[in-house]
Amino acid sequence: MTGFRLSSGGHVDRAKQIGFSFNGRQMTGFAGDTLASALLANGVRTLARSFKYHRPRGIHAAGVEDPNAMLAVQDGYGYDPAIRAGQVRLVEGLQSKSVTGWPSPDFDIVAPFTAAAARFMSAGFYYKTLKWPNWSWYEEAIRRAAGFGSPNQVKQNRVRLHRHDSCDVLIIGAGPAGLAAADALSGFELDVVLADDAMRPGGSLQWEKAEIDGQPGHAWAAAVVSRLQAAGGRYLPASFVTGAYEGNFFTLLQSFHDDSGVAGECLWKLHAGRVVFATGAVDRPLVFQNNDRPGVMLSSSARRFIGEYGVAPGRQPLVYCADDSGYLSALAMTEAGLQAPIVVDTRAEPPATCVKAARAQGVSVHFGYQIADVLGGKYVRGVKLAAADGRITTLACDLVAVAGGVTPLVHLAAHRGTRPVYDAEVAAFLCPQLPDGWVGAGAVTGVRTLARALEQGVTAAATISRGKTAVPACNVEISPAGGEPLWRSSVGKPAKMFVDLQNDVKVSDVALAAQENYSSVEHLKRYTTLGMGTDQGRTSNINGLAILAAQTGRKMDEVGTTTFRPPYTATRMHAIAHNRQQDGYAPRRLMPAHNDHIVLRARFDDFGWERPDWYACNGPDREAAITAEMNAVRTAVAVFDASPLGKIEVSGPDARGFLNRFYVSNIAGLKPGCIRYSVMLREDGIIFDDGVLACIDDGLFLAGPTSGNAEVVAAWLEKWRQTEWPDLKVAISPVTSNWAVIALAGPRARDLLSRLEPDFDISAVAFAHMHLRQGQVSGVPARVARVSFTGELQYEISVPARYGAALLQKALDIGKELDALPIGMEAWLRLRLEKGYLHLGSDTSGRTTPLDIGMGGIVSKKALDFIGKRSLSLPFNRAEDREQLVGLRPLSGRIEIGGRIMAPGETSVPCKTVGNVTSACDSPSAGNIAMALIEGGAKRMGETVRIYADGKVTEAEICSPVFVDPDNERLHL
Amino acid sequence: MIVIRCPYCQQDRHEEELGYGGEAELLRPPEPDAVSDEAWADYLYFRNNTKGLYQEQWCCASGCGQWFKVARDTVSHNVVEVVRFDQKLATAGKAQ
Repeated sequence: MTGFRLSSGGHVDRAKQIGFSFNGRQMTGFAGDTLASALLANGVRTLARSFKYHRPRGIHAAGVEDPNAMLAVQDGYGYDPAIRAGQVRLVEGLQSKSVTGWPSPDFDIVAPFTAAAARFMSAGFYYKTLKWPNWSWYEEAIRRAAGFGSPNQVKQNRVRLHRHDSCDVLIIGAGPAGLAAADALSGFELDVVLADDAMRPGGSLQWEKAEIDGQPGHAWAAAVVSRLQAAGGRYLPASFVTGAYEGNFFTLLQSFHDDSGVAGECLWKLHAGRVVFATGAVDRPLVFQNNDRPGVMLSSSARRFIGEYGVAPGRQPLVYCADDSGYLSALAMTEAGLQAPIVVDTRAEPPATCVKAARAQGVSVHFGYQIADVLGGKYVRGVKLAAADGRITTLACDLVAVAGGVTPLVHLAAHRGTRPVYDAEVAAFLCPQLPDGWVGAGAVTGVRTLARALEQGVTAAATISRGKTAVPACNVEISPAGGEPLWRSSVGKPAKMFVDLQNDVKVSDVALAAQENYSSVEHLKRYTTLGMGTDQGRTSNINGLAILAAQTGRKMDEVGTTTFRPPYTATRMHAIAHNRQQDGYAPRRLMPAHNDHIVLRARFDDFGWERPDWYACNGPDREAAITAEMNAVRTAVAVFDASPLGKIEVSGPDARGFLNRFYVSNIAGLKPGCIRYSVMLREDGIIFDDGVLACIDDGLFLAGPTSGNAEVVAAWLEKWRQTEWPDLKVAISPVTSNWAVIALAGPRARDLLSRLEPDFDISAVAFAHMHLRQGQVSGVPARVARVSFTGELQYEISVPARYGAALLQKALDIGKELDALPIGMEAWLRLRLEKGYLHLGSDTSGRTTPLDIGMGGIVSKKALDFIGKRSLSLPFNRAEDREQLVGLRPLSGRIEIGGRIMAPGETSVPCKTVGNVTSACDSPSAGNIAMALIEGGAKRMGETVRIYADGKVTEAEICSPVFVDPDNERLHL
Repeated sequence: MIVIRCPYCQQDRHEEELGYGGEAELLRPPEPDAVSDEAWADYLYFRNNTKGLYQEQWCCASGCGQWFKVARDTVSHNVVEVVRFDQKLATAGKAQ
């Protein structure tokens, strides 16, 4: 096969030449070409090597159904490591490269070895070999040999969009049936979306010779689209409908093209009221010896290259068919001025009309022959034909256009669970029962002629609009009516007859699968990998299952098809992720004083909100800064931005009773102005929130969930209020981001607070620990809570968020005299560890109950029911060997977070473990300290345990988790 | 994509805008201390897992925030009935 550009014909713009490269060679094509048509026009024959046997591969089809032409392509916007040449619109400067075959697909070093080893590399050979000593020894080499593209570092510049939309009617496919439906729906005030994967409307009308309503088919198509758009309908070219979902929702992948390449993609989630299913059909190839040679191509693709792109795929064509559509190719070739093709029809008596039309053009037709073999090593040079009586004839040719029949593209209907059913008359799988609201039209329903397709399109529209429109008149040379399927050649070696060209699956592999009892079609697929390539078996599935059926003596319907799943075609992950990347992935939440933290040289980290982990203004490196910050809290005062702390106002006459159903502590007696620390449980008794609760007055409480739980707790309270206790008079208002919180912690905290001008008494007596005061601080409204996460004297000043930055700044400025430092999260968390205060999610696991953390006394004192209470008395929650929270001091070595506590008596791994280290740090005052959850830990105080971490075993002593100021004197300063 | 019309704010919402709350009409024992461990564990962990029409609760999470009840076919995802939380679904009531 040597392809060449025809001197006229096709819909390419011959006035616009486009330069591109393939494997480093500069070539030219025209605007309107695909990369495939341009490569063919430049005489490229071998594009790739097959992935297992490294046999040469050329262009087999013109579109996404091509199993072979996977190339690495770079355009002006990005790089695709493996994409089909037929899918790529040719643009200036495009670079393309083969991804298999080294050093080149024409001359591949591995090929002779794989040719010799082929008989040992049948389907599933890797299940039986390459095991000793270790599979991973072979894996690297096999991956390299298989090829299929490597990523590069080029950043994509494609626009990524997504869209939720709806329409009254979705027409899937802008071929003759879909267009007829679209035209017939106009005037009925329906919102119509017409989607098609090609760049131009018309489907096969782009290349078939046909007249509709007195115009050439492609012109009629363009006119229908203009009419549709004028009436307000939407036409989406270059758009694949990739998935069909319940509720008549569809995913649709729309791509935008310009002269530099694929400029962007938009992923639609489209809801359709009604659906016209007009996806068409794809040619099915014939299976014969060496049918994978470059030069063997789908017959419809051969005439598509001629009709749409003005490219002849070869000079000496031969049409091999078991179906009438082969004759369409023969006529197209003669009309394009090619040497009259030879038609080899496997049928003994093909339709007289077809034969007559072909012979009238000088085409010679031979019937009742099969191809016994293809001659030529790297590309087709000829074929050997076998007559019914066994006589062999040899014919020279450089192109074999195969037409075995058609496969309707029923995938989208199958996504919805409709099983495709074999129709013997059409020799194809059809979906006669479509989902609710769908109506089928055109080749997808099994019809073969243009007239029937147009008629079905109009009928489909009539079903939806309940109106009546005329069917457009059409004129074609010959009407293909059908064929006689020949699933595989009866002459030739099964080991050289290819069923799936992408994955090198041969007829002998199908036989092998059946022989090894992988006789279900799903097993056939996975055992042989038939249909598992990027072409999704579009041209190989049906042949494969037909051969399996014959092999196992079953009917087509008994074998059935495999399950079709979205996406219908390969979709870039980029398009699926669209703008949910980097900052679009999750909104960054910034605190009101964010810019002030930047000025202080904060090193931020993601704690759900962006918060300073430490401040570079406090020391030359992280550890030095953290030490300085911790020391400031223990000896002077530090200023901490606590704005993300959860804040939920619970108000109403029933607020107290409502909240008492959630907290483990009894809050019946929590007086106005008082604060209590408590935990909330799930119904199964597991702790899911800890925090402080403040009583402002009998009708208003302020719940303070841990920062990470702010939204979760608010939703939890609201759910129980609505679904369980709707009669309670209580309102829940999340106000977390309404209030900024600046905390002052350290022995000088009161001094600093007083300099911030509170308008109420803050003396130790008037404002004791665990109390709340409201008033003004520095002239703005404030709620000040005296609570401590650090074990030092601490005030948390809440002001309306718009004053947060100013308050932080003022506290630091005034605090300079008191040696105040800003303090970040890491130092804050180490300080609380020194005091044995738990950090939810670190020191509690998904199984920790309040009994495990020493709150048994509080629980037993509460007679009223609360969520989770009943579960605490279940046997497994009362067991002695539950993991309990304790402290650890090192005896040898250093304790690290995550270390596993080895069971008593164990000295080396592997062994049973009884817990793990949940928090650990180096404290300036206490040294290396840790907390751990250990089975029965509460009763093991003073015992030594061994800890395994990172390959080392260390020893530690179980102790109380309070390492600094165990009598809590500093809290009450 | 399941689409449900919120009976409170009267908007058609895609499932992406809604929160799911599992089986509806679960009775929390009014006197938890009076029920056996087995009965309590049953309430905690056991749910119907119906193939077919199922009563469940949903929340208009991105909209008005109200919880409501839905009868949905778990095979076809067809939403058959939607009521406010203070009403009872007529479809697929429990056998007990």
